[in-house]
Amino acid sequence: MQAAISAADDLADVNRVLAGDVQSFEGIVRRWQGPLINMAWRYCRDRGRAEELAQEAFLRAWRGLSQWRRESSFSTWLFALAANVFRSELRRFPTVTVPLEAAPEPSGPPTQHNTLSKELSSGAVRRAVLALPQRYREPVVLFYFHEMDLAAAARTMGLPEGTMKARLSRARALLRRRFPQLETEHAEIEFGALNPGKEA
Amino acid sequence: MNRTKNGSDEMELSRIDHILASEEPLIPSSGFLESVMERVREEAAAPPPIPFPWKRAIPAVLLSAGIFGWAAFELVRLGLLTVGKLSAVGSASLAMPHFSAAAAQPFEPAGWVALALGTSLLSWLLARSLAGRSGLL
Repeated sequence: MQAAISAADDLADVNRVLAGDVQSFEGIVRRWQGPLINMAWRYCRDRGRAEELAQEAFLRAWRGLSQWRRESSFSTWLFALAANVFRSELRRFPTVTVPLEAAPEPSGPPTQHNTLSKELSSGAVRRAVLALPQRYREPVVLFYFHEMDLAAAARTMGLPEGTMKARLSRARALLRRRFPQLETEHAEIEFGALNPGKEA
Repeated sequence: MNRTKNGSDEMELSRIDHILASEEPLIPSSGFLESVMERVREEAAAPPPIPFPWKRAIPAVLLSAGIFGWAAFELVRLGLLTVGKLSAVGSASLAMPHFSAAAAQPFEPAGWVALALGTSLLSWLLARSLAGRSGLL
């Protein structure tokens, strides 16, 4: 999604904005509104709040556009700035989360036809991410937002890849411990895929 | 077996990974772009913030620094003089050194009070003058 966005367009728009053409910022917002809202959504799981956070990130980007040094891509700079905005805004006004232990657990491994149960377990896992301790939550959010690109997630957080990897491993371990049934289900899915005739 | 992208090759994808990686993307609401641009245009149209009047403030800062520096120097000098006198008189008079000093120089505190009042007056006049010139008064 992000790769398709033209870096040349970003550069041209940034140059025009810095030259005084306010309207050119619209191109930047148009291209990046989707990614930024989706990133904010993963931070708070509240659609209205996600749009507010994304708007605030765009405003900060507008104010600090001249600080983009062009050593990294515009998207790297924008995502890092947005992550800072989301982090500080959510620290000031946190979202309501439940402790990880209190996150609802799926009742059992869903069957092939039990899509509702699948949706419920997916929702529970996603909500449980927000209940992770702060230092593990953000790596998880950014890792999956960047389509499991560890380097991109580390750049957005401004952390070395090794640190990011360690925090991510710890977070995944916490989630696995919280949802052991999903691991069982995973094994069953893999087994089912290897022996498709057994399910019939 | 699925594996993650660069940097985390040894991580096998679990069901949790699949859940977290496969989210339906949110579509921005129709008014989002316009609302961001409205705020950007508001900011662009707003007058720039008033810069701090360094040219006017520097003399006042220098004056204050000079006064405080001089006061500190005087305090240290007087302190050293007092210590010198006390050590000359000896340990017998250490119990009540202030009475003898006050008796010897009864008008010295008045000078300090006058200096403090003068400094206050000066800073008040300076502040008033700065505020008057900037249109605040």
